Order: sequence, then C-alpha cells, then structure tokens
Amino acid sequence: MTATRYDRRMYAVMNDRRAAAMYATAGRRRLIVGAHAALTAVGVTALVGTVFGSAPTALAVAVAALFPWVLLTGMLNGSTRGLLELRGRMLDERQLVERDRVRALAHRITLWLLVAAAFGAGAYSVMTDAPLRAEVTPVLVAVLAAHWMMPLWVASLRVQDEPGDGDDEFGDSSAA
Amino acid sequence: MSEQVHNRLAVVRAERKVSRQALAEAVGVHYQTIGYIERGQYNPSLDLALKVARYFRLPVEALFSLEPFQPLTDEVYGRKQ
Repeated sequence: MTATRYDRRMYAVMNDRRAAAMYATAGRRRLIVGAHAALTAVGVTALVGTVFGSAPTALAVAVAALFPWVLLTGMLNGSTRGLLELRGRMLDERQLVERDRVRALAHRITLWLLVAAAFGAGAYSVMTDAPLRAEVTPVLVAVLAAHWMMPLWVASLRVQDEPGDGDDEFGDSSAA
Repeated sequence: MSEQVHNRLAVVRAERKVSRQALAEAVGVHYQTIGYIERGQYNPSLDLALKVARYFRLPVEALFSLEPFQPLTDEVYGRKQ
C-alpha cells in the first residue's frame, strides 16, 4: 500500500530532529515519562474534579496542565519516531516488531493495574463498609488514562540511545 | 527463542563509505534500524539481509553469520603470533 500525503507529513513530523537533544539520553526520557505521567495524573484528577468537586478550579487546573502535557506527548512521540502514531505501512520491520513488543508489555502492565484497582477497591469496600459508588468513577478514569498512555511510556522507556556523530562519519548527520 | 546473528555490516559500511542513512534508504528501512542491526540489537529478516547483501554486491554470508566473524585482517593476512 502506498503512503498518502498524511502518512508522509506525519512521518516528517515524527522524525523531526529539532528537539531531539531534549530526549537524546535514557535519563532525559525517563524524566519526561515521569513528568508526563505526573501531568496525566493531575489532568485526570482535575477532570474528575470537574464532575465531583469544584468545577471552575478543577477546570482551570485541567486547562493549565493541558499545554505542557501536549508538549511532553510530542517529545515522547518524537523519541519513539512515531512508533505508535504512524500507520504500519510507514514503519519498517524492526519498528513493527518493536511496536508489537511495546503493546504486549503495556498490556501486561495495565492488566496488573486493573487487578490492583479491582482488589484495592474491593478491599476498601470490605474494610470500610462504604459503598463504592463515589470511588468507582475516579478509579476507572485513572485506569483508563493509564491504559491509554502506557504504550507511549513503555515505548519511550525502551528507546535506545543513538550513537554519536563519531560512530558514523559518512555524512549521517541525522543520526546525531 | 531467536539465535544471535552476527554481522560485519559496520565494517563493510565503513569500508565502502556508506552512511546509515544512505544504506537505509537503499534497502527501505529507518536509518536507526541499520544501527540496531550493527549493534546486534536486531536480527534482520531474510528479506532485509538479502537486500543489504545485494546493495553491497556481496553474498549474504559475507555480511551475516550464525558464528562470530573473524577480524577481516585475520582472514586476509592470517593472525600474527
């Protein structure tokens, strides 16, 4: 199947190296993943708060968290070269294998999160004799967000550092 | 479980003065994939291995092997004692 204009545009965006230095090392990528997870937690908590708590304050927090969250999401996608955003036809055989591994690993992690959430909620209900109605929605939304973001976090954490300029002295500037 | 496939892609690529980018474009993969193969972090498919061999006009066994490669100088001149 041939690549569409959208495919080529997305490929160029995902392989744009202008901000590559910001996620060039494993340490920086771990930091970005941590910050992204924290911002996701803040955003999800704020969104749940718009329903169950003080709507204007929660909405302001959610909106404030949105811009840096989008920025960090872009960095994570850039670090993976669009592994999860590009269509399969724009990925090569190694990337397709890596995408399958990432999805399998993320699926396993979110499975354990679901198990923890189910047992945690059940244990909370049994120990406190409280009905779970109020807790179910936030827990479900939190697990949904983790399920949504986990492949991106896993993919970014699995990215290998690229060799430096000296490792490819034949004009391969894009490998820097 | 997949077996480690050894390769001398980096050596041949350096000898021929071919960049990862140029090789990647010629065989239709992302340039990072060439680096992954060179570092032994990814075993290429038979299809890709044959394409790389064809690009360098070499038999595939000159580039990829199930056994570790001897240094090229050892093969050409023999190891000095």
